[in-house]
Amino acid sequence: MNWRGKPQLQERLAAEYALGTLRGLARQRFERWMREDAALARAAAEWQARLAPLAAGVRPVAPPERLWRQIQARLGAAAPGSLWENLAFWRGLGLAASGAAAVLLAAVALVSPQAPVPAPAPVVLKVPSTEMAEVYLAVLSDPKTNKPLLLVTAGRHADQMQVRTLDPSIRVSGKDLELWALPAGGVPTSLGLVGETERSMVKLAAVASRSLANVPTLAISLEPKGGSPTGRATGPVLAVGPCIKFW
Amino acid sequence: MAQDDLAGLLAACARRDRAAFERLYRATAPKLFGVALRILRREDWAEDVLQECYLRIWDHAPAYRAGLAAPMTWMTSIVRNRCLDWLRRPRLEVIDEEGELIEAAPSADPGPLEELESSSDARALKRCLDALEAKQRQAIALAYYDGLSHAELASQLRAPLGTVKTWVRRGLLRLKACLETA
Repeated sequence: MNWRGKPQLQERLAAEYALGTLRGLARQRFERWMREDAALARAAAEWQARLAPLAAGVRPVAPPERLWRQIQARLGAAAPGSLWENLAFWRGLGLAASGAAAVLLAAVALVSPQAPVPAPAPVVLKVPSTEMAEVYLAVLSDPKTNKPLLLVTAGRHADQMQVRTLDPSIRVSGKDLELWALPAGGVPTSLGLVGETERSMVKLAAVASRSLANVPTLAISLEPKGGSPTGRATGPVLAVGPCIKFW
Repeated sequence: MAQDDLAGLLAACARRDRAAFERLYRATAPKLFGVALRILRREDWAEDVLQECYLRIWDHAPAYRAGLAAPMTWMTSIVRNRCLDWLRRPRLEVIDEEGELIEAAPSADPGPLEELESSSDARALKRCLDALEAKQRQAIALAYYDGLSHAELASQLRAPLGTVKTWVRRGLLRLKACLETA
């Protein structure tokens, strides 16, 4: 099809390209022509702008939250400037941790553990008072929405942590969740990978009272299968929260 | 969110600002997901397409020129183009029970047209669409919202292919003439 010097044909093709009725090979051909001919590209852009208000009539539908996590995961390792690199962010968390502890404790009450966790309402735990005695407790929340995503507990003298995933949508297929300790004034250290079941264990190098003694904050990052290859977080921080000594 | 704010976010994305990209996503994804869902009519396909499109938006943000297209027009075009490509792919799989088919057939009712009251551009476009013959308007709405090809329009509107092509062509010409006098 020779479209050069045929303004009416050009106009029609541009309009049908923008509308979407130009299809198949004709569409591909038109896209090639647009790359070679600025006037044709402009005609198509004008038609897209003319029809664009139609999209305003489309009912918005919130995509599932996993879509954003998948996009983030495909963007690859966090670039400088990300939350993970932002020292001020971590310092702020450290300072906030003691205040957050009081808030968290105020939220502890007795309800059925089967109750769905309302977000971002307070997390409610049912723990028999005898077992409540000497544990470390951390509720890790989405840093943007504050929605609680994971609950981490460890007995003072235990050498493992219990991790409960409150929101299974935190998982991204083909990726692992890695748990990090953020010691006051130190570099984050990996505590291990979170299992894929709702409840899982993370083994500690030493009993909790030693491993977590100087750790005001825990965080979860999204990592390749098997965990971060570098020993520090490479993916986005999905959840973070204060780690509280509960005795 | 105003187009100016979106343009600012796109400019920040061009500087590789991921926080700006997330704000852009949060501000625009529901509308673009709606657009993709309407054309593809399956949530899993719409999710795949949207994922690709946002990566494309991120990659191409440095090439975005505010003078050529408004941010939402640019992003909507990326999504609609990708949806139309997607529909072209040979699809051997049969829609299974779990496949979330939104509706069995595209709606012949150009419903979204009724919602076009949000801006002066939208009102002008609606007025000009209303001035078209009903068949022309319906063909254009089905092509835009549901991504129907000429052949699909012919089957949906139960009219010969040549007739449908004429509705679309004349409808678009009249639409442009009307918008230019607005």
